[in-house]
Amino acid sequence: MNNLLFGLLTGSMLAVATSGFALLRNTERFLHIAHGQFMALGALLAVALGETFGLPVGIALAVLITSAVAVACGKLLFDPVKHRGANVLLFTSVGLAFVVYAAMIALFGTDLRVFTVELGAARPIGPFDVAPGEIVILLVAVVVIGGLWLLLGRTGIGRDIRAVASNRELAQIRGVAINRVSMTVWAVAGALAAIAGIMTAVLSSVSTESGWGYILLVLAAAVLGGTGNILGVIAAALVLGIVMDMSSLVIDTAYRPIVAFGILIGVLLIRPQGLFSFQSRKEAAA
Amino acid sequence: MISIEFLVTIATLAFVFAMAAQLLNLEAAWGGMWDLGIAGLIGVGAYSYVLLTSSPDAAVPGAGLSWPLGMLGAGLITAAVAALIGWPALRLRGEYFLITTFAFAEILRQIIIIRRDITGGTFGLTSIVKPFESQFTIDGYPYVRLGLTVLLTVIVWMVCSRIATSSYGASLRAARDNEPLAMAMGKRINVLRLSTYATVGLMCGLFVGPAYSWILGALVPSVFSSHLTFTLWAGLVIGGLGSRFGPIVGALLLTGASELVRLVHVPDQFADLHAAAHPALVGVLLIAVLRWRPDGLLTESGTFARLRRRHSRPDTARATPVSTPTVPRIAHEPSA
Repeated sequence: MNNLLFGLLTGSMLAVATSGFALLRNTERFLHIAHGQFMALGALLAVALGETFGLPVGIALAVLITSAVAVACGKLLFDPVKHRGANVLLFTSVGLAFVVYAAMIALFGTDLRVFTVELGAARPIGPFDVAPGEIVILLVAVVVIGGLWLLLGRTGIGRDIRAVASNRELAQIRGVAINRVSMTVWAVAGALAAIAGIMTAVLSSVSTESGWGYILLVLAAAVLGGTGNILGVIAAALVLGIVMDMSSLVIDTAYRPIVAFGILIGVLLIRPQGLFSFQSRKEAAA
Repeated sequence: MISIEFLVTIATLAFVFAMAAQLLNLEAAWGGMWDLGIAGLIGVGAYSYVLLTSSPDAAVPGAGLSWPLGMLGAGLITAAVAALIGWPALRLRGEYFLITTFAFAEILRQIIIIRRDITGGTFGLTSIVKPFESQFTIDGYPYVRLGLTVLLTVIVWMVCSRIATSSYGASLRAARDNEPLAMAMGKRINVLRLSTYATVGLMCGLFVGPAYSWILGALVPSVFSSHLTFTLWAGLVIGGLGSRFGPIVGALLLTGASELVRLVHVPDQFADLHAAAHPALVGVLLIAVLRWRPDGLLTESGTFARLRRRHSRPDTARATPVSTPTVPRIAHEPSA
């Protein structure tokens, strides 16, 4: 049963990361390959700043800095090439991934980093052996995703974001401030990436190489959920995390990523519109 | 000091990348199949070549074939793998194809890591058979290897050019630009795309994989990560998507520039900064080229405009000289 708990933890981390990725995919309309690098950047910043300013301040600063960097990148790198379409944006994002990766090597070196934080002793709750730290991480995920849900559903800017996501041209004609929406989305996506990166780093470790692995899982979860709605993405991320960790009961743990990508490919072939999306996805239907 | 052997090795690596970038150009730029899994295919090619050629009593037992047979076998195996991947993946379009190939490449790499009894796992394979190695001295061999790699690059260029100028290549580009129209013209698009993908696999195994393994001291799975795919893509985009010489120019420029950075000697406290220079250069070049010259240094329209002029019908070619003499005469008269 502990595998279920680990799966839930992996899944909630993945849900936080993928909801940021999906937000960008829906409003800016491209696959943000550098998202994984931003996750690693957030985690490494939090480790480094946590050592000097103490952990809570360090984490808050790391999330803020990553968010600011994301906004700056969106303004300076992505906005000028937006009119050239998704492929140019995608490869600009690949370029950005390399630049962020290089910056992380230059700043932090290539060593594995861990947080100096104890999750506490595990104690049995029901069928699980839960450490207090793990409950905190789950709560953080719930709060973050709940916050995102409220932002999108209950605020003016959230309504604008949804309008741009469903029809960019119409939203622009109806007077939605496109630039403000785009800035907000970059800020939120950057912050979500940093939080997800920090969650992963607290559970295990982080290095400058981690970003390339993160983005694969995020892509898998995004496609599985169908990037169209945030709830679908969250459900898919949880399913992916749980299945990955439960599969280690049946087969060798080394096959964990293969299981994830096997599911991804299977879903793409059977339901290209995603497990939880009920709209047909035009671009997927040949 | 910069040693000449080191420059030769960099040039060899650059030509291996040029080969791979051309194949990427064939499938992505002309075929419209945006593939993020080419590193996986190159990995399959390199591993099958080394496993087919290394001797049966090595640390990781191989089949002990001679190198030409090894290359041929690697080509066939990689083509089969590409066909197997392509058959489901090509049913998807655009970014979903891209994600699927990305995932497949990662699966292939994970399998290489896990099945260490066959592939050597993360320790890698170290007994790599190189053609003509015993006939030359250790000092002379890098030049021979460079020559062989350039020869293979030329062969790949000829094959890609042949495809580009054939009606097969024209159909491929037609299917990319307007799929319903191409289907209405009676082109069997699925067969067309699958055969192109398998051809790319064949050449990855036949040429790129073995040539790459010759310059690597040991074959380890980390070489064939998404890093390799993105580096090749960066070279292709910089050189120009869809142009015949673009991928070669781009890959040579990118590899040359980024490897020469490593030659700069730096004190130890800047070692991290130095290690960061390579990815930083790739990233900045990619962003800058996309921003200010999105078609790359050489363009597809340039390539095919030249080809059209060369292959234009004889009567139109004859019509031009007839009309030209009149132009200078008219221009001349007012001044006279």
